[in-house]
Amino acid sequence: MVSVEIVVGLLYSSVSLLTPILLAGLAELLVERSGILNLSLEGAMLVGAFTAFMVAFYTGSLGYAMLAASIAGVALCMLFALLTITLALDQMVTGLALNLLTIGITSYFYRASFGWYVSPIPPHVETTLQPVEIPVLSQIPILGKVLFNHLPHTYAALALVFLSWWLLFRTESGLKIRAMGEDPQTADYLGINVNLTRYALLVLEGGIAGIAGALLSIGYYNMFLDNMTQGRGYIAIALVILSRWNPLLLLGAAFIFSFIDALQLRIQAFNVPFLPYQFALMLPYLFTIVLLLVAGRKVKGPASLGKPFKKSR
Amino acid sequence: MGITLERRFLLIRAALALSTIGLAFFAGIIIISSVGKDPLQAYYWLFQGAFSPPAIPETLIRATPLLLISIGLATVFKARIWNIGAEGQFYVGGMVTAILSILLKDAPPSLAFPVIVLVAGLGGALWALPPAILKATYGINEVITTLMFNYVAIYLVSYLLHGPFRDPVSMFPETETINPALWAPIVVQGTRLHVGVLLAFAVVVPLAYFFLRWTAFGLKLDVLGSSARTAQYANINVTRLVIQAMLISGFLAGLAGGFEVLGIQHKMRLELSPPTSPYGYTGIAVALLGYLNPLLIALTSFFLGGIINGSMTMHRMAQIPVGMAGIIQALIIIFVLASYFVEDKLAKKAMERLKLW
Repeated sequence: MVSVEIVVGLLYSSVSLLTPILLAGLAELLVERSGILNLSLEGAMLVGAFTAFMVAFYTGSLGYAMLAASIAGVALCMLFALLTITLALDQMVTGLALNLLTIGITSYFYRASFGWYVSPIPPHVETTLQPVEIPVLSQIPILGKVLFNHLPHTYAALALVFLSWWLLFRTESGLKIRAMGEDPQTADYLGINVNLTRYALLVLEGGIAGIAGALLSIGYYNMFLDNMTQGRGYIAIALVILSRWNPLLLLGAAFIFSFIDALQLRIQAFNVPFLPYQFALMLPYLFTIVLLLVAGRKVKGPASLGKPFKKSR
Repeated sequence: MGITLERRFLLIRAALALSTIGLAFFAGIIIISSVGKDPLQAYYWLFQGAFSPPAIPETLIRATPLLLISIGLATVFKARIWNIGAEGQFYVGGMVTAILSILLKDAPPSLAFPVIVLVAGLGGALWALPPAILKATYGINEVITTLMFNYVAIYLVSYLLHGPFRDPVSMFPETETINPALWAPIVVQGTRLHVGVLLAFAVVVPLAYFFLRWTAFGLKLDVLGSSARTAQYANINVTRLVIQAMLISGFLAGLAGGFEVLGIQHKMRLELSPPTSPYGYTGIAVALLGYLNPLLIALTSFFLGGIINGSMTMHRMAQIPVGMAGIIQALIIIFVLASYFVEDKLAKKAMERLKLW
């Protein structure tokens, strides 16, 4: 019954949908390993999506759009860093507050630019990011179709999985990052600059999250919608927990998730009579909870994750 | 020494709260000016639409769901349980209210009304239960699960409103208007002030104040909030406490949804909450700005309810997108958090001066 064509298509879109969530998840994973829980990942993706759309709309340049998106993401994460590292405020609440702020700001400036009543066809950009076919590899039957005809960001995300694993577990910097996530006080005594490292990781996260958000507005769609990330950043954080803070496992978790997401889109498109589209839309969220229930029980993260660190002298 | 130390802290706290609001509005000036609008004129309409005498009843109506939700959130936040799912619990409360009102349309209203109100609360509590159990028994992060449940609730409501419970004659996905005999009674003629407003301000606030401050339950929440380990040493059944607190929080959010349907909308709609400042999320701001104290929360709900109400006037008269209300609320939370930092510093300085440590 199920033809190869459909399966290949499903796997192809799984890999494609994997990209933003994997990018965001990897960045968050590194930050969480250093002991910071950054919920404003969601907001950083949203400002990325918004900024990329606005810049692409007014300049027509996708390059500038991506650059601006990552700058916007960095700006938001720097604000988060200022509040939670320098002022040592509660990370969870700060992250949530920044997310509310980004929902308000993006919707406000979108309306301020395009007016309150967005016509039936919302403003959209003409060109979007295009997949790059890898010459020889894409000729491999099935595998070539599934893996080697994607946005450049997909290849980058896959490379980043191994790169961040290597950084965390095979380098001295990785050891330092993990050490400060377990016990920042001791790391500090050993001469590691905890706050500076955490700032640096948050800059990285902001940049990556901004780009991940941009993929939504100018990669998969060609427009911006209010709150268009729809909790994707939070889901990325849930996947980080599931992966037990290991990039290789994160790849697996993110792939399973994107497969469900791709399946959900198919269900919507085929208009299955006994499954209304709202139930299809629910699937990724329900599935995240089920995954947490199956594999996320009593997992132990970095010991000082989410705790403010005050340097004692 | 005309002024005690405690009173001085209280004054500092009040001054900080006022300056945080001031700072949020100041930041708002920049955002309004950046799109070429006149901030003073915008704020004039904002306050006119929020706190001028004719606007007060509608502001109270906006404040009521915020108040119920944020009192529930204060209960869990005290124990440092982060229920972010009030929005979903609010929607579930509203949905079961509409369904039950349709089913019970011929029942005697004096009997049906209290049942419906109770079931609205239970619906919200039920929606809070799975994340509560996951948190209490498996230690699964409640921020993630309650958030996921919000999306599930909204899609579920969307399905019910597009499908089985859609009013066939309406152009919009909404239920039919419920039987007027079941509407929440109006308490002030000529306004939309219904019995739910009275219940929230005159009954729930004092009750919550009493429970959180003077009972063993409130104390246990405080202990759990200060440290999970201390709670265990104090022989507190943490699993039970977490579930109880989450159920209360969900119940109040569900109740808020129920009264929004019975008192204001008279049907279930997809926009039960204002889209740019949803009650469930704004309630987080209210609870924090009110220092988790029910009396201050009543005041804060009134204030933020006013901002939501006034933002409509500001939009109509000064063409400022209503998203501005959401921005001001978020800025207030951020500045409140920053003020905790200032308060901490000031307290330390005062202690040092008194050589208390």
